Amino acid sequence: MKKSLMVISVSTAIFIIITYVVGGSSLVLKGFNNSINTAVQSALMLLASFIIIGQIQVLLSKEILNKWLQKFSGIRGIIISAFAGGLFPGGPYIYYPFILSFKEKELPFYILITFIFGKQVYDFSRIPMEVSLVDSNIALIRNLITIPIPIIVGLLAQRFFHNRTLENPFTEAGEKDGSNHCDS
Amino acid sequence: MAQTTVILSIVAIILILINSKKTGKQLEGLKLGMKQMLQTIPLILGAFILAGMIEVLIPREFVQSWLSKEAGLRGIVLGTLGGMLLAMGPYASFPIIASILASGAGLGTIVSIITAWCLLGLSKAPFETAFFGVKFFVFKLIFSMPFCFGAGLVVHVLEMVLL
Repeated sequence: MKKSLMVISVSTAIFIIITYVVGGSSLVLKGFNNSINTAVQSALMLLASFIIIGQIQVLLSKEILNKWLQKFSGIRGIIISAFAGGLFPGGPYIYYPFILSFKEKELPFYILITFIFGKQVYDFSRIPMEVSLVDSNIALIRNLITIPIPIIVGLLAQRFFHNRTLENPFTEAGEKDGSNHCDS
Repeated sequence: MAQTTVILSIVAIILILINSKKTGKQLEGLKLGMKQMLQTIPLILGAFILAGMIEVLIPREFVQSWLSKEAGLRGIVLGTLGGMLLAMGPYASFPIIASILASGAGLGTIVSIITAWCLLGLSKAPFETAFFGVKFFVFKLIFSMPFCFGAGLVVHVLEMVLL
């Protein structure tokens, strides 16, 4: 979060300077005016969004999702895994270690890659943000259009990496893969 | 916008009720949500200011020729690359994407930006390489790109046919 804040602060400062150079203080003020309007219009939506995010985080524990992932395989496993990914809370620093924790359980690679795509494409806790900060119609279209992506990825991975696990996703059994950092 | 607020509020109330019946942790959820909101407010405000500047800076002519509905495939390709470069979280990226939309970008371009940000966002790269290795990162990058183009293309075609 600190890194993001630093990136956004530096980018904002640079853009304010560019805006000033391009159009003087009047253009900067116009830009601020746009920002204030957006902030005022989004305030209530943001509040509701964060309430939703907090409730989802409490409702769905890691243990429940863990159970789902280990219980199903095949096409059902792919669908459940994509859905579980979408429900999983937190950023990449939380879900990647979670996925890595399945290494010893030898879960198929296609289930895990589907989970990653499900998390990144669906991320249900992100939808309120997408609705309030971008646009409700765009959010609806984007989410509907991208629903098949994790499922297609899962099916392709099942087809091409059927017997692979997270430990050896790109190598045949017995072959060594020098670039796999799972042990690190 | 008011309609969206009402819908989100209803969803929030329903989730609080479900939590109070199922887990009894609705207050914990509220605290978690508020804590996260307070932590991200500086980021959101920064993103709002940045988005406001982008909105007044991007020339209409640029959006018309590179990102609008008329830009077609060019807008989708540019959108995919742009989404990949938006190496920030949703609170910072979404206001920026909204400002590009407000400048007149096409729906296909916006969908390819969001999809590319979801799948290819460079902020995830350090985690992917650290946990699964460079090979996995490159595999996922190459594997994801057609989906970003595809999603943008489908929406672009729908926009041309229906709107």
